[in-house]
Amino acid sequence: MKANGFDYLKKITAVDYIQYLEVIYIIYNLSARKEEIVKVRLDAQDPGIDTVIHVFKAADWYERELSEMFGIKIIGRDAPRLLLEEWNGIDPPLRKSFAWGKDYRKTGGS
Amino acid sequence: MAIMRINVGPIHPSTHGVLRLVVDVDGDTIKNVETHIGFLHRGVEKLCETRMYMQNPSYFEKLDYISPMSWDEIYVASVEEAMGIEVKEAAQYARVILLELQRIANHLLWIGTLCNDIGQMFTVFMWCFRERAEVLKLLEDVTGGRMFYVNMRLGGLNRQLPPDFRDRTHALIDYIEGKVAEYEDVLDSNGIFMERLKGVGVLKRRDAIDYGVAGPVLRASGIEEDVRKSAPYYVYDRLDFSVPTKALGDCYARYRIRYEEIFQSIRIIRQALDMMPEKGDVVGAPIKLIGPAAKPDVVIVRRELPKGEGIIYMVPDKQKPYRLSIRAPGFVNLAVLPKLLEGAKFADIFAVFGSLDIIFGETDR
Repeated sequence: MKANGFDYLKKITAVDYIQYLEVIYIIYNLSARKEEIVKVRLDAQDPGIDTVIHVFKAADWYERELSEMFGIKIIGRDAPRLLLEEWNGIDPPLRKSFAWGKDYRKTGGS
Repeated sequence: MAIMRINVGPIHPSTHGVLRLVVDVDGDTIKNVETHIGFLHRGVEKLCETRMYMQNPSYFEKLDYISPMSWDEIYVASVEEAMGIEVKEAAQYARVILLELQRIANHLLWIGTLCNDIGQMFTVFMWCFRERAEVLKLLEDVTGGRMFYVNMRLGGLNRQLPPDFRDRTHALIDYIEGKVAEYEDVLDSNGIFMERLKGVGVLKRRDAIDYGVAGPVLRASGIEEDVRKSAPYYVYDRLDFSVPTKALGDCYARYRIRYEEIFQSIRIIRQALDMMPEKGDVVGAPIKLIGPAAKPDVVIVRRELPKGEGIIYMVPDKQKPYRLSIRAPGFVNLAVLPKLLEGAKFADIFAVFGSLDIIFGETDR
């Protein structure tokens, strides 16, 4: 992608579709002003994806956010510090298994 | 000399919000900076999944409490796209005018706080607040709120514009144009101001692309990218304005970009006021929790917010978002801070940080 001029990473995010996880890369070509969206399907049980930080430095915080909020393992990066809330609970907050309103203090969350 | 580790924050008078930096210094030279964010994390993305579409706009306003209307608009626009609602023509002009007024208010506050950060205490800050207060007064009369407006409705605005809106806005932008021109005389000939900003925190063009910075920070590094030009929304393609860019990428360039953008916004407002239909209806649908069911699988909305490009990636469910992801310009611009501070002096931290225009509501979400 980068060789074709898509040199600007706008966003990495993910969606939990319960049966599977989808990781979305929004990549932009600054000179041609074109946008491409790359979607990767991951297994919901033990999700892991290769890092892209050697291609886009912008991926750093997004990948940390993914691993914290979705529990997605980022392969190729040595355990980056958690980014937003140092959440070490059992359910990653943005997964659908995280129940809204449940008291996680009793179940061993941080 | 030994490396010393200094903690800055989480509360510091010139961090506009709550930020903690762990800085390794060798003497006065910065070797490494570690950024700790998340103190203002409220889980807005998760919260949105539990509420109906039109219960959410006020959460979005709190993402950026300096320019709330911009976030209000991007969210309502994404709901409109999900439900397939067209915005009335007069309302499109009205939204453009209000958004540009919001951009002016944001940049005015930013110039004031930048001067505070670098030791130009309170003179320019107070001037900027004087002008910004006039903008807020107009926005208050239009929307009913002084800080938080919640003014966008599906297809239009909350209520009709006041009858003297056109004349008042013309008078307001004439006033602001004259006053803001004075800042240049004071700041650009001020030795301390120039010394603190010129050549400090240089972001090279290649790094700006690689780190994916947004908005004025990107344009200050010589890249002409503005959503209003590259993917025009509303009536921006009918308006004549230019996108200021600078080649150097230092703090001074970032100041100049925002300073010049104020005049471009004034240009846009002037044209939009003249082109707006004389007796157009701008009122949108009243808030109803149950609306038409959302159809598409995915909605992506891009907007040029005052601080940079914002994106909402939404997977709509029928009556509420299934998943809503926010790309905030503050998030990407803050990630580049350690790069900018490599080899800088300790005292430059807040000049560089101030020049990025970061707000923690949207950074932490």
